[in-house]
Amino acid sequence: MSGEFIAFFVLAICIFAGAVFMLFMNNVVHMVFSIAFTFLSIAGIYVLLQAEFVAVVQVIVYTGAISILAVFGIMLTRHDGKEEEKKRSGHTIFALLVVVAFIGLIIWSVQGAPWGDHAADYDQMQNTKEIGKALFTQYVIPFELTSVLLLVALVGSIILAKEEDKSE
Amino acid sequence: MMEYAWLVPLFPLLAFILLIAFGKQLKEGSAYIGILATLASLVVSLGVWMERINGSDLVRTDWDWLKIGDNVIRIGFEINPLNAMMLVVVSLVSFLVHIYSKGYMHGDDRFPVFYQYLGLFTFAMLGLVISPNLLQVYIFWELVGVASFLLVGFYFYKPEAKAAAKKAFIVTRIGDVGLFIAIALIYWYTSSFEYDVIFSAVTTGTIPAGMVTLIAILIFIGAVGKSGQFPLHTWLPDAMEGPTPVSALIHAATMVAAGVYLVAATYPLFEASHAALLTVAFVGGFTAIFAASIGLVQNDIKRVLAYSTVSQLGYMMLALGVGGYVAGVFHLFTHAFFKALLFLAAGSVIHALHTNDINEMGGLGKKMKWTSAFFLIGALALAGVPPFSGFFSKEAILAAAYEKNMLLFVVAVIAAFFTAFYMFRLFFLVFTGESRNKHAAHESPMVMVAPMFILAILAVVAGFVNTPWGTYLGDWLNTNDSLAGIELHEAHAPLWTAVLAVAVALLGILLAYLIYAKRSISREFISKPMPWLYKLLLNKYYVDELYNILFVKSLRGLGLLLQYFDRYVVGGLVQLVVSITTGIGALHARIQNGQVQMYGAIVIFGLTLLLAGLTLVVKGVIG
Amino acid sequence: MTVSLVSYLLLAAMLFGIGLFGALTKRNAIVVLFCIELMLNAVNINLVAFAKYGVNANITGQVFSLFTITVAAAEVAVGLAILIALYRNRATVNVDEYDTMKR
Repeated sequence: MSGEFIAFFVLAICIFAGAVFMLFMNNVVHMVFSIAFTFLSIAGIYVLLQAEFVAVVQVIVYTGAISILAVFGIMLTRHDGKEEEKKRSGHTIFALLVVVAFIGLIIWSVQGAPWGDHAADYDQMQNTKEIGKALFTQYVIPFELTSVLLLVALVGSIILAKEEDKSE
Repeated sequence: MMEYAWLVPLFPLLAFILLIAFGKQLKEGSAYIGILATLASLVVSLGVWMERINGSDLVRTDWDWLKIGDNVIRIGFEINPLNAMMLVVVSLVSFLVHIYSKGYMHGDDRFPVFYQYLGLFTFAMLGLVISPNLLQVYIFWELVGVASFLLVGFYFYKPEAKAAAKKAFIVTRIGDVGLFIAIALIYWYTSSFEYDVIFSAVTTGTIPAGMVTLIAILIFIGAVGKSGQFPLHTWLPDAMEGPTPVSALIHAATMVAAGVYLVAATYPLFEASHAALLTVAFVGGFTAIFAASIGLVQNDIKRVLAYSTVSQLGYMMLALGVGGYVAGVFHLFTHAFFKALLFLAAGSVIHALHTNDINEMGGLGKKMKWTSAFFLIGALALAGVPPFSGFFSKEAILAAAYEKNMLLFVVAVIAAFFTAFYMFRLFFLVFTGESRNKHAAHESPMVMVAPMFILAILAVVAGFVNTPWGTYLGDWLNTNDSLAGIELHEAHAPLWTAVLAVAVALLGILLAYLIYAKRSISREFISKPMPWLYKLLLNKYYVDELYNILFVKSLRGLGLLLQYFDRYVVGGLVQLVVSITTGIGALHARIQNGQVQMYGAIVIFGLTLLLAGLTLVVKGVIG
Repeated sequence: MTVSLVSYLLLAAMLFGIGLFGALTKRNAIVVLFCIELMLNAVNINLVAFAKYGVNANITGQVFSLFTITVAAAEVAVGLAILIALYRNRATVNVDEYDTMKR
């Protein structure tokens, strides 16, 4: 019963709680809060996995930027706050069954696979330094491409969200 | 001339074809075509007969018809004494009926159609009698049934006629099944249909004894159907719905005689089996008295004659059953003439009075002299009064019965009494006394009287071909080579049987006279004290009603059951398939609802299936 | 009981499942977007776990996850922009109403 195990367990509970609450809440803003909680817990998992840089990036980008974006989106669109009366339970059950089957299959495959027992040793390294080393030497081209991607996304979203000119 | 015997059936067939083509234009001229064709057949038949009398050998010609593997089915014709006699009888009666119908059917819209059907029937009947093998007999047998159906149902717009035609066909069909099974069994054992092969197989024992009995009885069942023996007799009285010339031709002289002819032609089979002969005799005897008793009380002139026909056919079967081959064939010969005469006379009366009910007739003796004279001659012949032909043939039957079986002899005598009684009841009610008829009666035209005249002459003299003093017919029939050497035994009975027969007939006539002419005994001297007996006889022993409950209703029920089965089970299965298909379609329609989430779910589902398949393959569970 | 690779993989798988279920079932478009984010996060957990415990464990897994986070962020931006445009046209964020693919 090591500390790592307890930490993992607690963080896993937090993740699931956040995710499940997100699904079952009625108010959209509450949903945003619970998913932000999930993102934070995931950052905790990253720390457990000795990926501190990724954890911080997770907090900055996900919990910070993406959640705020979502709130902006909610603000700009109207939500009646209540779900429509139309029930589509058949669809829900079908989707549930399919997802359970899919995930069950994955779990079964994962359980049986021989993963081996070794672990990489990151105790001696500095996480950020290692990432920087890999990112700017081996993966510099994807890095540049990502920046282009971000630019495109930015421009694209502005165009998409622009109001149509009423004068035309 | 005998080599041209195949022409005999072809003349009426030609008439049939010509009338189909030109009947509409010819209208009443169609009668001449029919009359000419039957005259030609008659001439050739007479020629054949005379040649055969002069004692030629068996003439037989056949041709290969169907080759099935190693088996060959042949068709052709054969002339033996029995055939030759039948050819003359059939073509003569047919010829006379053709002439008579010209007067009787005058004014009918479907006059040419009637002659077409008559031609078809005559062709079938003539073809039947000259067939050399059982398969050909069966073909013509069925064809005769079809022609009978057409003719009985001639007045098809009357529902009774339609029903009677169907009944005739179906009831005889039941008998035909027996014949068919017999033919199949014969082929099974002997691989042939030819008479000579069959008869030699019987004598050499190729067919086991029990099987011979079975085959003989099955053939007899076919004869029971066609000849209206009990229990398949119900169609014959109803068949009186057809025009009277039809009754005279088919239901007196020819088609119903086909059953007797069949038993006679396959006689070696019966001779080989004592049980079959006994069956024939008892069925015949029972039918004789059964039908005669019903005829005692009927009120329709044609129905009385119909029951009389059934009864007389019973006599013929009785004769054949007790070994009196000659007696049976002789009675066939004489009965054809006097029964046809009686029917034609009855038709003459019906034509004049437009009714069949004897209670509406009376006193016709004064107005229709020829008809009543001929009817009297026919009645005397039927009753068995000497010197008319019926006496000799009936006496021969009684002699044969006396020799073999006393019970049957007594039955035959009682039936003879009934016969005389009902015939003269008919005669006295219709032709003597005061007139009760609604229409004025008048004699029929010459075209109807002349055939009756010829038949009357024959009814008188036909008996002399086989008297105790000169058994010409018997000797001639004995020269029949196709009978495989069976000696046709002539029965000899003490003279008192003949005297008894005449006495019984005269007694019947006397009783009828007392009741119906002189009225000294009341008409109801039986029916008053025993009304149930009268009802029983009037309703034909309720046989029709019994058949209705036993067969018609149950078959209808079965039909209904099958209909429901078809509609709900079979139809239901089809409907099920439809529903499944529609259901699957509807299900898939729900999936195509335009929503991405549904499509996404389907995608994940497909992905899961693929992954599952791959995983199982990799793990070695599948393939 | 130690925490091994399998536990992280299972965690990620179940998170992925929850996200998938939500993406396929929820009616609100924004919630669907969040669920997609959940799925991406699950993938990230997997990548980082393989970076530590995998067969060929090295830093590449974490680098990969950085890229995933970036792309996810861009995707959220674009997705929200699309949502706003759709809302302007349809006045609703209910995915049920977006069924023009029906015919």
